[in-house]
Amino acid sequence: MKSKRTGKPVFFVVFILILALTYCAFFGFENYYGDTRKVIIKGANDIRWGIDISGGVEAVFSPDKSGVDITSDDMDAAKTIIETRLVNNNITDYEVYTDNNTHQIIVRFPWAAGESDFDAQSAVQELGETALLTFCRNEDQNDVILKGSEDIKNAQAGPDENGNFVVYLNFTDAGTSKFAAATAQLVGQKISIWMDNQEISAPTVNQAITNGSAYINGMANADEAKSLADKINAGSLPFALTVDDSKLQIISPSLGSDALDVMLIAGAIAFGIVCILMIVLYRLHGVIATIALLGQLAGTIACISGFFPNLSSFTLTIPGIAGIILSIGVGVDCNVIAAERIRDEFRKGKTIDGAIDSGFKNSLSAIIDGNVTIVIVSLVLMGAFGTPDSPIAKLFSPLMSLFGSSITGSIYSFGYTLLIGVIFNLIMGVLASKYMLKSISQLKFLRKPAFYGGKKNG
Amino acid sequence: MADKKTINSSKVLKIGIIIYAAVFIIGILFTLFAGLKLDINFSGGTRITYSYTGKVEEKDFKKVAKSVIKKDFTVGSSTSLAGDVKTLTVNLAGRNTLDTKTQESLTTKLEEKFTKNNIELYDSNSVSPTVAGTFFIKSLVAVILTAIFVIIYVGIRFRKIGGVSAAVTALCALVLDLFVSFFVCVIFRLQIDSNYMAVVLTILGYSLNDTIVVYDRVRENKKLFPQLDLSENMNVSISGIIKRNIVTTVTTVSAVATIILVSELFGLTSLRTFAIPMAFGLVSGCFTSLFVAGPLWVIWQNRKNKKA
Repeated sequence: MKSKRTGKPVFFVVFILILALTYCAFFGFENYYGDTRKVIIKGANDIRWGIDISGGVEAVFSPDKSGVDITSDDMDAAKTIIETRLVNNNITDYEVYTDNNTHQIIVRFPWAAGESDFDAQSAVQELGETALLTFCRNEDQNDVILKGSEDIKNAQAGPDENGNFVVYLNFTDAGTSKFAAATAQLVGQKISIWMDNQEISAPTVNQAITNGSAYINGMANADEAKSLADKINAGSLPFALTVDDSKLQIISPSLGSDALDVMLIAGAIAFGIVCILMIVLYRLHGVIATIALLGQLAGTIACISGFFPNLSSFTLTIPGIAGIILSIGVGVDCNVIAAERIRDEFRKGKTIDGAIDSGFKNSLSAIIDGNVTIVIVSLVLMGAFGTPDSPIAKLFSPLMSLFGSSITGSIYSFGYTLLIGVIFNLIMGVLASKYMLKSISQLKFLRKPAFYGGKKNG
Repeated sequence: MADKKTINSSKVLKIGIIIYAAVFIIGILFTLFAGLKLDINFSGGTRITYSYTGKVEEKDFKKVAKSVIKKDFTVGSSTSLAGDVKTLTVNLAGRNTLDTKTQESLTTKLEEKFTKNNIELYDSNSVSPTVAGTFFIKSLVAVILTAIFVIIYVGIRFRKIGGVSAAVTALCALVLDLFVSFFVCVIFRLQIDSNYMAVVLTILGYSLNDTIVVYDRVRENKKLFPQLDLSENMNVSISGIIKRNIVTTVTTVSAVATIILVSELFGLTSLRTFAIPMAFGLVSGCFTSLFVAGPLWVIWQNRKNKKA
């Protein structure tokens, strides 16, 4: 048996790292300048909870009646676009109903995190924007060269070579030739770019552009660029929608008004019971498992609250919580499998180091297979129920396009929390707990098989 | 060799068949005679909103509405953004739409009962059920796709023990678990809402994970004890991991049970649709992965070997 010893300090280093992550993930890090709270690291308080848990806003959209006839296809298209906009903003919990008789679209979505300064009106307005992008000759809005909904393949936000934020556009083939013709004609003149009735940019044409791409500059920051790109990708609404302000409503949580508090208490007690069971059954290994589970939970929370700068915050709903419960269950399982294996090894009469080594080794294939299967499940769900332009959806697009797109935020959020949870389980439950146990078993006073579930006299 | 008593998995399967047959018969009878309770999200339906002033208890409102509607419905409450309009909404799912006459008499009755509260009809919508159709198709597609990917993965990883048979029997176990959770919803008269979809997916994950642990042990024992025949191997494997299965299931179910208990204590009944089918599905998953998937796989392999 080769025995690669793990140093004694490893346990303490890993333990302190997990504690630090847990503290930051739950409590965040904030500064006060006078009365303004500046969040440096987002904590659990910055999670946007679903309508079911903390309530939200209901808005009724109705089309501007001035236009043409509205078919039920138009209504469905409008609904899909509103859903895409919601999911693009990581609001994965919403209800969108269409009423084809009265031509109304009812949208319900949850309060943003820390709801106090939440401006429902502006959020609702943004959802209802037509988002019709047009390129016009000179600055005349009526002289349209090309339309975003027909001639643009996709848009992408990013910095240009000078570090300014811009939105890159790729035209379709038809769009490319239209744009080439127009720019050839308009050298020295201006082309204006309009979003609905607002001019967002009016660059002067230097030369004919034939490569089928263009960009929009003048974005204030990365967020504005991303939101414009998302809107262009989501497509424009087939008709303008107005919000009936008198029908704007606050909805109570569908689970009851104090659902959030109750669920947090229930979750904390349930987590405590799991930890106690683990410690009673597996003693020292149970303690290690508890630390690993805490790390897994903290990591998952961190990915939901927007703790990591490149992952924006996520709406947490009942299905999302189910995803966390499942991943914690998988985490428990992974520790149980390893602990049972180590016991088996003790029964075979192995030493502490030998039993821990081969126990972890033997348990690995079952754990990896189980986890990979669950990763597959979560990826399929995210691909099937997320927005069509997400990387995962693109991965599955040849399959998914067969069935048409339907965005279901709640299922997407289940897949998301599950995936994150399982990834953290692989880090915490598989790697961290192995090194912690190996390291702590080097401490003299803990070198008794009884601490690991071996026979007491062993 | 395991020092514990080995379990005879095919005997347990026979007991299992009796239990599951009973669950299926009761479940199907309930579905036929009591019917499903579908949420408005799934089935479309009618939403009628009333505004009021002062204080109206949701319970009292529900009682009055029930006396008129005589169908299944849910009540939700909300306040307008400015805080000046308080409303209560009656949701009716599916074909349970209300004709105008019933709507009118509901309004009259509510006005009579809550004279001080100035009850008025605020809004009435019928919700398109087309959404529900695409949602179900999409869910089905997602489940089938997941199944295909899992069969491929399990088939490759467990090719030494007949990968496809392992994958298909794992799915059989899973389907049983999903039926159990569904029948639990029907028997306990729980509404099938979007929470239920989360339950289905969670059970899917747990059940597959449980079954994979079984096959992992079979694969290992095949290498360690090549002299064992298939059913002996299965029995030894199951005996070796049954404790792990029970510990994991007990731990998870006690966590879910805590959630049910705490929320019931605080009067939060809406978590029932989530936690109750989940708890039953998890217990079923623990049983089926050991005593349905395992023995079925043995039968399949034996048939195949006989033919060969």
